Amino acid sequence: MNFLKKLSVRSPWLYRINAGSCNGCDVELATTACIPRYDVERLGCKYCGSPRHADIVLITGPLTARVKDKVLRVWDEIPEPKVTVAVGICPVSGGVFRDGYSIEGPIDRYIPVDVNVPGCPPRPQAIIEGVIKARDVWMARLGLQE
Amino acid sequence: MLGFLKILARNVAQGPSTDPFPFAETHTPRRFRGKVTMDPAKCVGCAICRHVCAGGAIRIEPREDRSGYDFTVWHNTCALCGLCRHYCPTGAITMTNDWHNAHLQERKYDWAEHHFVPYLRCTGCEAHIRMLPPDLATRVYANHAHDLDFPALLRMCPKCRQVAAATRAAALNAPADVDDAASAGSGNGNGSRPAAKAAAANEETTPATPHTVKDGGRTDADTPRATAG
Ligand code: SF4
Ligand code: SF4
Ligand code: SF4
Repeated sequence: MNFLKKLSVRSPWLYRINAGSCNGCDVELATTACIPRYDVERLGCKYCGSPRHADIVLITGPLTARVKDKVLRVWDEIPEPKVTVAVGICPVSGGVFRDGYSIEGPIDRYIPVDVNVPGCPPRPQAIIEGVIKARDVWMARLGLQE
Repeated sequence: MLGFLKILARNVAQGPSTDPFPFAETHTPRRFRGKVTMDPAKCVGCAICRHVCAGGAIRIEPREDRSGYDFTVWHNTCALCGLCRHYCPTGAITMTNDWHNAHLQERKYDWAEHHFVPYLRCTGCEAHIRMLPPDLATRVYANHAHDLDFPALLRMCPKCRQVAAATRAAALNAPADVDDAASAGSGNGNGSRPAAKAAAANEETTPATPHTVKDGGRTDADTPRATAG
């Protein structure tokens, strides 16, 4: 039973939140997961459509004033233990939009971030690397170190 | 049917097209734009890179005691655009193809490259200057490499360098055109030759106006502009 339990939690489901990104990072996220060339599903990951099914949340974009409340609401829907990954320089520091009048980010002002993947956008392999780091954090939170 | 078999055979022969990363190394193009890096030996502190930086990732801060300046590139703000590399007049700032950028939040604020770049004192007038990088000097004085005392010139501010070059040229009885390159950036290309000759004639002359370090880390703005323009 214990063995089964260990096995079953190795497949974190991913959820994406676009917090006002230019779509560059979202395209790379789609590439990472949806085409066989990069195929994040080899790691047991899978995109899910509902935040309530998610384990790892990937956030892109600098958190614009317009989407801030919605992003926080969706993020709150994700059950604990969740791991937050900031993808691209936008959520990490504001990136090229930093100090803009409509920018509320960087995202760690409002949401505790666990892993940063800077780049504009980061290449799919870098995102996979970030997902692996996030998976390690997630396993540690569950008390199941590899 | 035959076509299908052909494709099947080719696919079996080629193997999967999935990138092996993270289970094996991936292919990274040689010129892939990854983390920015800076070579403090070549930097002259002109701050062109900071001026053009799309993300505002570069910070240049002169030290209070005028011993030099601190140079920082924040990888978490760098958009990997390559503008800094394109505009740097000395080739000090470049991009590696290192894309391993994912890091835990604890490391967020040290995910940067720091350098301290020291000033030295001009051997002529004691002003705080950034040493002229040898690579750049070879380009600036390309036509005069044979008749100049390079190691000494590198340690002078642009004004003293002009005077020294002219003095030396006059002493060698060569046509006094050695100051062409140096004066190109100083804005008074016409006036400098007679002035330099006068300086050469009067052995006692010392440079009158010492260059002082301007705010914002710009020390030796003349030199890079001379090559960039
Ligand atoms: S990091 Fe760059 S590519 Fe990604 S959302 Fe921001 S601006 Fe777009
Ligand atoms: S030489 Fe100028 S542009 Fe090049 S790295 Fe130094 S300050 Fe930046
Ligand atoms: S690559 Fe672009 S964003 Fe990065 S430091 Fe250079 S100029 Fe700035």
